[in-house]
Amino acid sequence: MPLRLIRYALSSKHHEPRMFTTHDRMKSSYDVVIIGAGGHGLAAAYYLARDHGITNVAVLERGYIGGGNTGRNTTIIRSNYLTPEGVKFYDASVNLWKDLSAEFDLNLFYSTRGHYTLAHTDSAVRTMRWRAEVNKHYGVDSELVGPDHVKKACPQIDLSCAGHAPILGALYHAPGAIARHDAVAWGYGKGADMRGVEIHQQTEVQGLDIQGGKIVGVNTSRGYISTGKVLSAVAGFTPRVTAMAGFRTPIFVHPLQAMVSEPIKPWLDPILVSGSLHIYISQTARGELVMGASLDPYELHSTRSTLDFTESLSAHMLEMFPFLSHVKVVRQWSGMADMTPDFAPIMGKTPVEGLYLDAGWGTWGFKATPISGKTMAHTVAKDEPHPLITGFSLQRFADFALTGEKGAASVGH
Amino acid sequence: MSEFVYHGEVRNEPDSETCSDSEWTDYVFNRSGIPAVKKEWWCHTPSNIWFIAERDTAKDHVLRTYLYGEGS
Amino acid sequence: MSRLAHIPGEWIDRTQEISFTFEGQQHKGFAGDSISAALWARGLRTLGRSFKYHRRRGVLSLANHDVNTLVQAGDRPNVRADIEEIAAGGSYTAVNTHGGVAKDRASLIGFFSRFLPVGFYYKVANSRWLFPFWEALIRNMSGLGVIHFDRPVVKTAKRYAFCDVLVIGGGPSGLAAALSAAEAGASVMLAEENPRLGGSGFYQLGNDPARRAVVKSLVDRVTSHANIEVRLGSYAAAYYADYWVPLVDGNKMIKVRARSVIVAAGAYEQPAVFRNNDLPGVMMGSAAQRLVYRYAVQPAKTMVVLTANDDGYRVALDMIAAGVNLAAIVDLRAQDTDANLLQSLRSQGVECLLSCCVYEAHAGQEGTLSGVTCCPLNADGEPILAQQRFLSCDGLAMSVGWAPALNLLYQAGTSMSFQDSTQQFIPERLPQGVFAAGRVNGLYALDKKIEDGQYAGRQAAAFLSLSAELGHAPAAERFSPSHPWPIISHPSGKNFIDFDEDLQLKDFETAVLEGFDNIELLKRFSTNGMGPSQGKHSNMNALRILARLMGKSPQQVGTTTARPFFHPVPMSILAGRGFSPDRRTPLHARHEALGAVWMAAGVWQRPEYYAKPGKTRTECIAAEVAAVRSGLGLIDVGTLGKLEVRGPDAGEFLERVYTMRYAKLNVGATRYAIMCDESGVVIDDGVVARLTPELFYFTTTTSGAATVYRELSRLNTIWKLNVGLVNVTGARSAVNIAGARCREVLSKLCDLDFSIEGFPYLAVREGLVAGIPARLMRVGFVGEWSYEIHVPAEYGARLWDAIMETEPSIVPFGVEAQRLLRLEKGHVIVGQDTDGLTNPFDIGADWAVKFDKPYFVGKRSLKMITEKPARQRLIGFKLQSGFTGAAPQECHLIIEAGEIIGRITSIGFSAAVGAHIGLAFVPPTHTEPGQILSIRRSDGSVVQAEVVTRPFYDPKDLRQKEESSEAAA
Repeated sequence: MPLRLIRYALSSKHHEPRMFTTHDRMKSSYDVVIIGAGGHGLAAAYYLARDHGITNVAVLERGYIGGGNTGRNTTIIRSNYLTPEGVKFYDASVNLWKDLSAEFDLNLFYSTRGHYTLAHTDSAVRTMRWRAEVNKHYGVDSELVGPDHVKKACPQIDLSCAGHAPILGALYHAPGAIARHDAVAWGYGKGADMRGVEIHQQTEVQGLDIQGGKIVGVNTSRGYISTGKVLSAVAGFTPRVTAMAGFRTPIFVHPLQAMVSEPIKPWLDPILVSGSLHIYISQTARGELVMGASLDPYELHSTRSTLDFTESLSAHMLEMFPFLSHVKVVRQWSGMADMTPDFAPIMGKTPVEGLYLDAGWGTWGFKATPISGKTMAHTVAKDEPHPLITGFSLQRFADFALTGEKGAASVGH
Repeated sequence: MSEFVYHGEVRNEPDSETCSDSEWTDYVFNRSGIPAVKKEWWCHTPSNIWFIAERDTAKDHVLRTYLYGEGS
Repeated sequence: MSRLAHIPGEWIDRTQEISFTFEGQQHKGFAGDSISAALWARGLRTLGRSFKYHRRRGVLSLANHDVNTLVQAGDRPNVRADIEEIAAGGSYTAVNTHGGVAKDRASLIGFFSRFLPVGFYYKVANSRWLFPFWEALIRNMSGLGVIHFDRPVVKTAKRYAFCDVLVIGGGPSGLAAALSAAEAGASVMLAEENPRLGGSGFYQLGNDPARRAVVKSLVDRVTSHANIEVRLGSYAAAYYADYWVPLVDGNKMIKVRARSVIVAAGAYEQPAVFRNNDLPGVMMGSAAQRLVYRYAVQPAKTMVVLTANDDGYRVALDMIAAGVNLAAIVDLRAQDTDANLLQSLRSQGVECLLSCCVYEAHAGQEGTLSGVTCCPLNADGEPILAQQRFLSCDGLAMSVGWAPALNLLYQAGTSMSFQDSTQQFIPERLPQGVFAAGRVNGLYALDKKIEDGQYAGRQAAAFLSLSAELGHAPAAERFSPSHPWPIISHPSGKNFIDFDEDLQLKDFETAVLEGFDNIELLKRFSTNGMGPSQGKHSNMNALRILARLMGKSPQQVGTTTARPFFHPVPMSILAGRGFSPDRRTPLHARHEALGAVWMAAGVWQRPEYYAKPGKTRTECIAAEVAAVRSGLGLIDVGTLGKLEVRGPDAGEFLERVYTMRYAKLNVGATRYAIMCDESGVVIDDGVVARLTPELFYFTTTTSGAATVYRELSRLNTIWKLNVGLVNVTGARSAVNIAGARCREVLSKLCDLDFSIEGFPYLAVREGLVAGIPARLMRVGFVGEWSYEIHVPAEYGARLWDAIMETEPSIVPFGVEAQRLLRLEKGHVIVGQDTDGLTNPFDIGADWAVKFDKPYFVGKRSLKMITEKPARQRLIGFKLQSGFTGAAPQECHLIIEAGEIIGRITSIGFSAAVGAHIGLAFVPPTHTEPGQILSIRRSDGSVVQAEVVTRPFYDPKDLRQKEESSEAAA
């Protein structure tokens, strides 16, 4: 048992240090302003401070730390993407993930469980093989496996899926993991805070001050800040930020919903994803089944829930796991996913000098948290895109050079 | 909901013969992603009727619907 | 045994004794008993164990506001024993115990609890090497009920219902609301989660029969009212947009679309917080009343009532009436007590200690409540320990306050404000058509609740334009039913806030000190309210603690979001019967009879191949291929999308949607067709046939049919061309008869002119085949002389039979054989040989892109793409003729100098070519025939392949057409 807990237990006075300092006032100027204190924004702040020595940084958050998509996703971490750009990027992310708990001295419950993307059609089998081959090429542990392999990892599964969609195979990705999502933001927040970054919650950005095509400041609900560099890491709010900056992007916002069951005794070890049945599922250490499906099929800037979602997801769940009939869904929620046409993010520089975008995270942002922070910190510090993100530039659309990650999106969109 | 299909905001296609490259790619790829009352394409699939819905994309309120060209 | 004599309105049926087991022990109860009530009546006190420390737990709310008493009921996990009726022969065990609820070995964890502070999980085993062991330990201990994996799916029914006004809650205010709305002419549905109406009106009695009589008369009027449909045992699981509320009962969901909703959901009684407030025997005052009035069960022999409102005094009166020895009333307040109630109790000799608290509860030998320590409170509300007093008791009823059941109102988008006078949130701005009544509005007195219900009913009626008369809302309560700080700290803790999660007062203090000083962060860090009861008994106290620690008002602190569901909903109820339809062609039964092995093709089921006894899949497919090449084959292609466009502008329409030209296509001719999206990506292909100057019949891919039809309809909504578009996919059956002798066979069935001149390659003809009106297209997808025959769906089987009978040697072939046949011809399958970014140039279809047209979808993008360097090209390749071993597979990569340069999209062994052949994407630099490609297989080994020209088979198309038959095209 760690010393700190014994100390805690023996002294009623002792408590852990605050993770985040409260700043009553904002400074009038920062070297860098980061919009959004979710995982991505805080990670960028952390790496700016740690790797680039830039600590005069303000992270502005209209709500609370990790209250956006960081706290709303189904926490799946994997690197079994389709394009070389994607695979290299997410693999670098997974490698960072593995040591974050130790780095932050905060247990993120980073749990390597193995990840199966189930293929119910021959075309899905082909796509899984494609992903497996690209993954292996870049040293990522993925392989196309047969139904028997799935059955071994999850003996309870109905491989025929009630006869509707027999499982023909799967992309097995051993490093697939889940983590305690909120804690990721706390860890990065804690680390950034320790290094002098200021996190300002309940501080809304209301305008960007752009002069001669360059960022010079930010208007917030708590006053004006001058700065030469602004990083937007706001997921579903990205179009609002780019509208403030006066340009358009391909990003469109659709809700993504999820739901969770009551705790039941752990039985499901791996993470399972089915594109045909629109399911992803894992079981947390608390025993809850965390379940997600595909995007809602229309634009909406709201985190409302729908009944249809729970109905169709439950129906598909029971096709795969008929024995879950009596398990109760306790809660459903929704996030706003900033989608792109090619299902790859939009990262890097923008038409406005000093404004950087970390956006287009759609349904795959959580797993990218560490690497997006690291590469965006690099990009902001050096004013040039990190080599890992050159394929994700906003310019690629005008160049008809899309990144084509659509085939790797876990659930059919 | 399941009988309706959404097809995004009504966007005016520029003259593809005369517009600039950037006007064209802006039309093809870029979207007005901000929440607003938008004119959107929706299809009632059982009848295959396309119509325009003016919808507040912040609140998901449909303000009015009409056939294309009949709105204003 | 603590069963009381008959109580008026009791829910149990004493004529029906029911046997069941709990933890393996045989018990008896009455029909209508909840599991907890029946066990309590038997004298059992430890009904469950807590999630984290495995502490003994008994009845707390008896209302599904906590999960102290979760049981496994056969294959059903996490059953709420507090509200689940006992079933004859039922077998129940407490969930998540190690060795039974009475002697749970895991309760040892409690001794270490001081080492397990809030957020404890975040603070240990942070090394990636240590974590797996730690995690295994936790996973072993966590979870509640168990799953029985051998159980089949449970299908449930769903129903839709419509009403003018949906009233949620069948207590006094809900009853009154339903009545007043119904009397105004509204059709009303009243949903009550309990098996009977009346709510608190039938147990918050204070031993006063008059109160019961008032509610009884409301119930009678509601149940006899023609405009009111009462749904008992049905909880409103959530509120969704536009008055859409699922009502869930024991075995189904009714989806209600109301025109107006009244939420009269009442309030959850909240626990007082003091040391050992979770001992079995400590319960909500309302739980004690429910035990008495619903189940005729005496909650305890000797009780103390801890109160801060009038409700507690009524609890005391009810307990006395139930024969309980009332040790004392401990009132946190110094004043505001109803003088009549106080007098009534004192006159019965009950000691009423004002301005006094319960400092801690004590456990006896059994681990259940044996007494409480009371202390007077000083002016600051702190206990004066020096004046502590021990009161012996086996029951403690807590009536210190309420939290309104605002969940559905939050989901409806109501903004709330904190009302200081009642110490609770109340609706401030309700959405249109949504109304609140009763305790959710901060009204607790019986007459006020009824009055407020009537007011809400009138509001709903007015909203629906049924009446104009509104009247007034009742005046607010004078005295708060909820104490602002029912919380007493204790150096040794175990003063629980959230019973689901075993969270104690100090956990909140610690979390806030660590920086989690926002209500959402506090929830997420501490897990308060994240257990199965979703904060019903814990959120209010958590909010109070945070407000006090931050020096803010509850209004400033705010609440967390109340997401669905109100109570958890079983997946079987959400799923209903499930509906995963697939489509079958009219020939399905024919294929089935022929031994088809099915595969999914979009929403369709298609024969992958026909199984033959004693033959492998590969052999069967090879035989089908050989039959087409050397004899005759027949395939069902009815899943292709089939569309008709008709009208003066039909040619123009097709020119705009496809990349090729069709305006001048001859009547009676067909032409290949590629469709792109606006960005120039290939999205579909097919064949266009011109039947008359103004009628074109054209096909799409199987999976593209619905979306192509929809998109073309949309486009013409904009273009307003003078055409009509019809989707005849389901209305037409289609087969392809292929092989050298197919003309011969068809000639026997059809009097069309099948001569080369009369029916040239790529022509389309209409005629009778076996007496069936048919469209015949001479196409060459599989590389033999062949005709696609399209007939009305109802004649599909007849056509099939006629062909099979005419030529018994004909071999039906499936999708796999067709794939190989077309591969031999080098034809592309959209979706297999293309992906989400493929343009026509990538697949070598430059010839099909006609830039000389004024417009087609994707033209400008394709033009821009031609100005950029090509990324990739689809080429044909073949392996060495003598290749043995495992052939590469589709999507294996082409590697050069350690880099990925391409990918196989199709591959198969061609008997006709005598080698494995395939299609692959390669860089434009690798398209020259003879160039060598290195294909890497899954095991990492590399196979060489040679780039060859397409088609692989019959390059001059001599087998499918007469020489120089370009005329038709």
